Amino acid sequence: MCLENFSSQVAERHNKPEVETGASKEVLLNPLIISRNDKERVLIETSVNSLRVSIAIKQADEIERILAHKFTRFLTQRAESFVILRRKPIEGYDISFLITNSHTEQMYKHKLVDFIIQFMEEVDKEISEMKLSLNSRARIVSESYLAQFN
Amino acid sequence: MSRLAPVVIDNGTGFTKMGFAGNNDPSFIQPTVIATREGGSGASGGPSVPSKPSFLNSSASSNIASKRGIEDLDFYIGDEAVANSKTYALNYPIRHGQIDNWDHMERYWEQSIFKYLRCEPEDHSFLLTEPPLNPPENRENTAEIMFESFNVQGLYIAVQAVLALAASWTSSKVSEQTLTGTVIDSGDGVTHVIPVAEGYVIGSSIKSVPIAGRDLTSFVQNLLRERGENMIPAEDSMTVAQRIKEQYSYVCPDIVKEFKKYDQEGDKYFKKYEGVHSVTGKPYTVDVGFERFLAPEIFFNPEIASSDYLTPLPEVVDTVVQTSPIDVRRGLYKNIVLSGGSTMFENFGKRLQRDIKRIADSRIKKSEILSGGRMQSTPMEVNVISHKKQRYAVWFGGSLLASTGEFHSYCHTKAEYDEVGPSIARHNRVFGTVG
Amino acid sequence: MILLDYHNRIIEDTLKARFHPESKPKPVDMSIVDFDGVSYHLATLDDQDTKLALSIRWNCWSELVQYGAMDVLRRDYKQWIVESEQGYDFTLQFDLENIGADPEELIRKVALLKRNAMAAPFERAFDAQSLAEKEDNWDPSSSQLMTIHYRDGEAIYIQNQQDRVTVIFSTLFKEETDRVFAKVFLQEFVDARKKPHLQNAPQVIYSHREPPLEIRHAPGLLDSENQGYITFVLFPRNFAAGAVREETISRIQIFRDYLHYHIKCSKAYMHSRMRARVSDFLKVLNRAKPEIQASEKKLASGRAFRRV
Repeated sequence: MCLENFSSQVAERHNKPEVETGASKEVLLNPLIISRNDKERVLIETSVNSLRVSIAIKQADEIERILAHKFTRFLTQRAESFVILRRKPIEGYDISFLITNSHTEQMYKHKLVDFIIQFMEEVDKEISEMKLSLNSRARIVSESYLAQFN
Repeated sequence: MSRLAPVVIDNGTGFTKMGFAGNNDPSFIQPTVIATREGGSGASGGPSVPSKPSFLNSSASSNIASKRGIEDLDFYIGDEAVANSKTYALNYPIRHGQIDNWDHMERYWEQSIFKYLRCEPEDHSFLLTEPPLNPPENRENTAEIMFESFNVQGLYIAVQAVLALAASWTSSKVSEQTLTGTVIDSGDGVTHVIPVAEGYVIGSSIKSVPIAGRDLTSFVQNLLRERGENMIPAEDSMTVAQRIKEQYSYVCPDIVKEFKKYDQEGDKYFKKYEGVHSVTGKPYTVDVGFERFLAPEIFFNPEIASSDYLTPLPEVVDTVVQTSPIDVRRGLYKNIVLSGGSTMFENFGKRLQRDIKRIADSRIKKSEILSGGRMQSTPMEVNVISHKKQRYAVWFGGSLLASTGEFHSYCHTKAEYDEVGPSIARHNRVFGTVG
Repeated sequence: MILLDYHNRIIEDTLKARFHPESKPKPVDMSIVDFDGVSYHLATLDDQDTKLALSIRWNCWSELVQYGAMDVLRRDYKQWIVESEQGYDFTLQFDLENIGADPEELIRKVALLKRNAMAAPFERAFDAQSLAEKEDNWDPSSSQLMTIHYRDGEAIYIQNQQDRVTVIFSTLFKEETDRVFAKVFLQEFVDARKKPHLQNAPQVIYSHREPPLEIRHAPGLLDSENQGYITFVLFPRNFAAGAVREETISRIQIFRDYLHYHIKCSKAYMHSRMRARVSDFLKVLNRAKPEIQASEKKLASGRAFRRV
């Protein structure tokens, strides 16, 4: 997260997140993948002035896949208020954050880290809770329908 | 499959009007209110995360435990919500014309569609309304709910004022079908004066007046109380005032003369309201006097009811037109359309037309004098149009629009939504612009 | 609201208002819809405000008639039936000056018009089954497979056997989310019967894509990922004559709408959960940038002004 203001080397008077443009190789650092298994992994790409965190959310079955998709879509829809949310996830991942030097200058770095960690923790929890509640709804719905036959 | 009639829903601050396109009247008119179990806290945080239903319980007792997962279906809307207000908490999802609580609104729609209108949203197109100057984010949220939750076939979100203009085409007074005009929309909560030029709302000139149906009712209530009509049971006084307002009120041309008329031949003008006590069932009567013409008068002389808002409605209308672009002003004067329940008073339109005409004429005269008599202007044509559908003008306009053959081509379809996403709602196909 | 009503609310409300002895007859003209693509037309006759006609149009009407719908309707509506209105399949007409002894009952019956029309094939199957039960050597080939294409691409198949009646819904889900949600729901329907207190409920079988044996020979079956089949096996106890039978017919008919209603409700529920979660996340994120507001507050008090 040691990001600094860095002017573009390619075009004069431009200042872009280098991790996005990828125009000058020398300012990019080695990307890092932390993965629990094939389905759950985090990709961190860093550069001199920006960093990108992409998360692949656990999707054990069809339902979790749909729910994860719905949830990330819902989030990106509101990217305006989540300043660090990237509107489009990196290919192969479900959601991406893009943190630039201007973000780290304006906000507490440790809180940003807190946010991302909490996000990762809660996303899984939320999705499995949604799945559970879907199942329990389905049970109630079917029972109350069939109970009428008594 | 043949296309089924599109659904038209006009969600207002006070009341929701819903029905099918092509009909003359909405099928349901009921308060925009939802009664939930959550209590007051549900308003901001959404539903609390339900405790996990226990899977370990034996099946016999699991019924109650697992009911927790579905508590969000335990609610009522509209009149039934009001009837259940003792055991449920009432929530008003719309404030000042804009949707305030999306959770409640989504559920309100849910029940509107499945319980009241009884239609499968996948088979219908929907026409919803929005207030002028609705932020595009709200429109996106609406589209998200409509397409993702309900899988509606098509969606069109129309501006209420424009629909009100379209509704006035049924009036015999209207010579040409134009989308230019000034809309005076007075509902339960607030009154708006909205200039519309060829379908575009002139946002910068919109004015709102903090006098509307609710204020009139409480004004009548005060008058009755001050006069000492103590026959009215306290808990009914609001409804009695509302009935009196709706049944007996009218707009008089001159308030002083009207007072005289009442003094001279009171028998002819004083009315009696007969009511039944809602609890004991005893009948009672209330004398209805000056409030008959005083209530709507507060539009024209706000000082009789309020001390902080003093601009009469005709003056507001005039200001609105004068602040609009100069080339549409004539059109705006020519076509002043009334909409909403609080414009239903007898002679409301006539009085308004007279007062606005007076203001406009005096301005022309002044400019003629200033020019030293060298310039002659054509007199300004002022027309206030009232028509039969005024009360539900917005809904009726929607019904008209949605029953035209082109409506389906204006709609954003489900396929387009899947392709583009909610931002599709920013685009209005009728005008071909980003609105 | 967990269960859906069987009757049409608009018809009920309108007729209630019209049939009220004190209400003045006035012209009315409205078109209404109901689930499954039913359209109604409720209107007074020209120049006769006291005559009220209700017409219904439904794509599968001819199939229903073929399975005896007219008999059922004649039994239920008798004197109210008139010549069908142009463009509609069936018309009832009421004379407001003469609405019979029990208007309440009439309103109730009329609001169930769609349900009653659809009841015909069910009744026929139930009757056929009870006949078959009495025979010792019943010929399975005599049972009739009744097909009602009640929606575009979706149909109900009803077949009677010696000891049961099977009702099969073919369903089509336009969207993937719906399909996945429906799978969860339908699985629960299948499992629910294992509960001891639901032993009397009909057996439910759900098969995805693969049509059940009974209708495998039926023409026009689609083979696609979105296609599913739900089978209800009704035993004689589920349609014992009288109230039980009527209830069962109503309930089975509403099944598809019930399922779809709850899928939609679940999605709405997910939305509100996600909204709550998003606002939680935002709170956490906003914790990361408090200094801007904090310094502004200081400014207002005037103390920290020189820092800026």
